[in-house]
Amino acid sequence: MRVKATINGRRIERDVPDSITLLHFLREDLGLTGTKEGCGSGECGACTVLMNGRTVNACLVLAAEIDGAVIETIEAESKDGKLSKLQEKFHKHHASQCGFCTPGMVMSLKSLVRENPKPSEEEIREAIDGNFCRCTGYKQIIEAVQDATGQLKKPEDIHYA
Amino acid sequence: MLYEFQYVAPKTKSELLALLDRHGDSCKIMAGGTDLLVDIRAGLRKPQVLIDIKKVSDFKPLSFSEKEGLLIGPATTCADVIRDKTVSREFPILIQAAKQLASTQVRNRATIVGNICNASPCADTALPLLCLDASVHIVSKSGSRIVKLKDFFTGVKKTALRKDEVVEKITVPSSMAGGRGGFMKLKRIKGHDLSLVSVCLVKKGSLLRVAIGSASPTPVVLKDFPAQVTADNVADEALRSVKPIDDIRCSKDYRLFMIKTYIERLIEEC
Ligand code: FES
Ligand code: FES
Repeated sequence: MRVKATINGRRIERDVPDSITLLHFLREDLGLTGTKEGCGSGECGACTVLMNGRTVNACLVLAAEIDGAVIETIEAESKDGKLSKLQEKFHKHHASQCGFCTPGMVMSLKSLVRENPKPSEEEIREAIDGNFCRCTGYKQIIEAVQDATGQLKKPEDIHYA
Repeated sequence: MLYEFQYVAPKTKSELLALLDRHGDSCKIMAGGTDLLVDIRAGLRKPQVLIDIKKVSDFKPLSFSEKEGLLIGPATTCADVIRDKTVSREFPILIQAAKQLASTQVRNRATIVGNICNASPCADTALPLLCLDASVHIVSKSGSRIVKLKDFFTGVKKTALRKDEVVEKITVPSSMAGGRGGFMKLKRIKGHDLSLVSVCLVKKGSLLRVAIGSASPTPVVLKDFPAQVTADNVADEALRSVKPIDDIRCSKDYRLFMIKTYIERLIEEC
């Protein structure tokens, strides 16, 4: 199947096999290995990317389905070697430990913050309801988002930095 | 993927119907793909041809009118429904249930029509649609027909749909607009999980309807009740109408107990 799509701002046109996933296409064919494969079946969220602005599990989308779509992956998050605000705050608050869930987490949270610049704790939790983290216990991640959105005003609000 | 299949994305309804007619058993319709691709990966299904219906331009998107009621198109996702202002005003119960389906990422892809056609006993969106007296509009090369949702489910993952047919929309009558109620889903964890049992209640005027999931081979809607019915009456009827089993998620007795509990809570709250 011939697909034309925009990936991280770059237009591509390729022949892709009908039976491979977007996840496989990103990692194996385009070398964008920032997007991870955990379960391969829509449970863990390690493969989260944005498709036309909304989060999807790249393991549950066929490469053939992205014809005409705009895809954003973790590789577009930092610019010229400079971390994005969200990445910087993940770093500061120890929100990334083994790091395997981090690309997916950042994509889910990027989509949240874009639509909702001051999310509540509940809204942050909801936005990552499809992202497993086996290391942090999530609290550091929530704190990082609160900091990135200017919601950590007092020193006593900060537990992990 | 595990094996090579062919992917086709017809652009018109007639192209789609011709493909279904030609491929019959060897093809499978794909909408969001969130169940189908998981099953393919697990080796549970092995279609030779995947027919993606999301690019069919003559299928309608989500809309509402007094005359046709709520119309849910075959490519309408759970997220589309959750974000829709009219649905939130007229059919909030549908949003309550759609929000309980899987995760944000899955809700962005999974379609309501797909959830119905997959016909799992635990299909989250089936319960409000049963309470709202939804109809399933089916087309094939040889014609079209309308089946009430309660007659559409025929068994575990089985529906009234023939191999050459496709669902072109699900409608909810505007007489049910403004109905209020609740949806309760029991899960093993707070996050992303299938239901152990779920109960949905909708009240509209003098009518009260209750549907139950994960407690029979199909989602079940009970007979209509008057709005003033007691929780005991509904629970008695419910326990007569469902046939839960012991399975990997929980026991039959726990299911029966929780159905009764949820009915009591919903009647009290709504
Ligand atoms: S790898 Fe896609 S959800 Fe786990
Ligand atoms: S940091 Fe290890 S899984 Fe999240």
